[in-house]
Amino acid sequence: MSCMIRPIKKTMTLMLLLCLTSIFLTGCWDRTEVNDLALILAAGIDKGKNKNIELSAQIYIPGGSQGGQQSGMSSGSSSGQSFVRSAEGETIADAMARLQEELTREVFWGQNEVLIIGEKLAKAGISDEIDFWMRHSEPRIRADVFVSKGRSKSVLGAKPELERDAAKQLRKIVKTHIGVKVTVKDLSQMLAGESAPAVLPWVEKLPPSLMDKKKEIPIINGAAIFKEGKMVGRLDDKETRGILWPRNEIKSGMITIAIDDENGYISLKLLRSHTELIPSIKNGQWSMHIKTNADLEVVQNTTKLNLFNSKVIKRSKQKVADEIEQRERLAFSEVQEKLNSDIFGFANEFQSKYPQIWKQKKDEWNEIFPQVAVSFETKVKIKRTGLATGKRQRGVEQ
Amino acid sequence: MIEKGRISYLELALIMYATVVATAILYIPYVTSQHAKRDLWLSPIWGSLSGFLIVMIIVKLSKLYPGKTLIEYGELILGRTLGKIISFIYLFFLLHDTAIAFREYGEFIESAFLHKTPIIFVTGSIALSCAIAVHGGIETIGRCATIFLPIVLALYILIYVFLIPDLNVKNIFPIMQDGIMPSIKGSIAPHAWLSQFSLMSFLIPFLTNQQKVMKWGMFSVIASVLTMVFINLGNLLLFGGIISNLYFPVFEAARFISVGSFFEHIESMVIAFWVLGGFVQLSSFFYMLTLGTSQWLTLPSYKQFVLPIGFLIIIFSVWSIPSFEEMIQGMGTTMPFYFLTVQLLIPVLLLGVAVIRRKRSNSFLP
Repeated sequence: MSCMIRPIKKTMTLMLLLCLTSIFLTGCWDRTEVNDLALILAAGIDKGKNKNIELSAQIYIPGGSQGGQQSGMSSGSSSGQSFVRSAEGETIADAMARLQEELTREVFWGQNEVLIIGEKLAKAGISDEIDFWMRHSEPRIRADVFVSKGRSKSVLGAKPELERDAAKQLRKIVKTHIGVKVTVKDLSQMLAGESAPAVLPWVEKLPPSLMDKKKEIPIINGAAIFKEGKMVGRLDDKETRGILWPRNEIKSGMITIAIDDENGYISLKLLRSHTELIPSIKNGQWSMHIKTNADLEVVQNTTKLNLFNSKVIKRSKQKVADEIEQRERLAFSEVQEKLNSDIFGFANEFQSKYPQIWKQKKDEWNEIFPQVAVSFETKVKIKRTGLATGKRQRGVEQ
Repeated sequence: MIEKGRISYLELALIMYATVVATAILYIPYVTSQHAKRDLWLSPIWGSLSGFLIVMIIVKLSKLYPGKTLIEYGELILGRTLGKIISFIYLFFLLHDTAIAFREYGEFIESAFLHKTPIIFVTGSIALSCAIAVHGGIETIGRCATIFLPIVLALYILIYVFLIPDLNVKNIFPIMQDGIMPSIKGSIAPHAWLSQFSLMSFLIPFLTNQQKVMKWGMFSVIASVLTMVFINLGNLLLFGGIISNLYFPVFEAARFISVGSFFEHIESMVIAFWVLGGFVQLSSFFYMLTLGTSQWLTLPSYKQFVLPIGFLIIIFSVWSIPSFEEMIQGMGTTMPFYFLTVQLLIPVLLLGVAVIRRKRSNSFLP
């Protein structure tokens, strides 16, 4: 008899235990259901009235059940599955609380991956606002940060054709590494540096003349340069390409060269490149040697030159190296001389190589940086010349 | 003997590893970086000195009094009254230490996820599950350690493997910019954590085999130190200069993971696995405290003590620490000295007296 009871008793205890676990698994106080959340896809911060901050949030509208599999794709892009709301407050958190008052669901930052800073606020200084992103446990420090021309709110409301919304559009563009890509973490790291220099991608709207429809689409066109946490200037697209080389961020690119006495051009695609910064201090003269190694591939040749000729290749290599250096010089003249913002991380390089000198001269960095002599050394390799040639070439028997 | 279970060397090493490392990886990076800045990865290496020294002393003591824990041989060495007093101080410290460990666990879960849940529910529910393990005895905890810790260890490594594209090696330079002092100052927190190896004395008597205990103890210290160095280094390479601003860099690192834009937002999983390590750590603290108390009272069994002591721990975890800030502040200032005083001074005192007594009694004997 007792043999029978024991297993039953055991099962009963087990059942009881299982029931008990459910009490602890609910997470009573912090219970959050997906349908009680307002997912923020992108956030924009602007300068509001007085000293206030205006927070604009692009909030996801959960798709209704009528979407189905077929219409999901088409309706998703056109009808717009998100809306933009904004509120003002003394800080971002305060504005968020005001925003919450207008929403039926609880604001949730966990999916927010885009942060856009309005031009006016950027010029007034952004260091204080980054604290929210670092301190609050919901926003992700991997979110991409942008500076928008004009108000950030208008960027958030844009409806791009190819992507679901403005947030996705910006994230995708930045992923192609055409311009700089800066996350909240990177920004916070840059702002922690000596004289707090920073660079952020600059968002503009594609002018309607370039589009068939009368819609505005945000694109990245250059970069905003910060110093002491305040925006001090901006670079155009070409100059931005120039800062990517020394920052070792260039991932793709097209370089078109003309060879002295020839008609036509050779276009080369960048395969990969690596840049090294080599600092040196000699007799009180600070200098930085920028060493670039780049591999390219020819994609178009409109000259009559034969690319299998080693002399031609040698000349093209030289031309490419000149072109790259020229782009870098252009960027340096703007950033180093005019804006005096150390977005290349020179300070870190000098600090790691000359820690003792750095400690004494740290406070003078603002005066030293524009004086740093920059020299370039670019090594170019042309890896391939494509699949076939489309023209009759000189020196080749037909 | 109060405990009938037996553990292997590996289980001993793993339990000690969990006891030291589980909360260390959360708090050590922030606390060390306050002083050591870029050299924070060197600090655990200096801290290892405490670990090695304490393991040597504890192993020596357990060789002199085989099969006895610190609470038991304290009495044999110092005599009944003095022994009881010293053991009580040690036990009281252990209660405090255990309460701190529970609080560390709770504060982390609170800061990361459950902001509104009262901390007592977080610590209380883990204490309840630990109580089941403690009731099961040392073998249960040993088995848990062998099952869970490989997963936890793989997790520590995987976090940084997934982050390889984001790591920047340049962040560690310049090494020792201001000399060796900042990293030594930063090492006081690792000293505190590694001094917890004195708790090994509660486990050594239950080893099936006692010869190689020194080797495995040292192995456990080395593994703990390497893990701390690894975690500190990984965080430094990821965050660079802002490391000293982040309270839980490991958690931030886990949140930062994004592989191929679909494998991301995995911090909940990371924490779920981390809790396994936390469970082994808290169970082991809980077990040692329960066992020690029963031995101090010379009771035949510790099992009826499990729940009352669990209750005491939870209450202590609320009483002894006013707030998160004060806990973090304490970790970098007072706590290391407190930990070292009790965990190094008491074993050294016991060993000193024991050796002198042995010599005397030997000289008296023909």
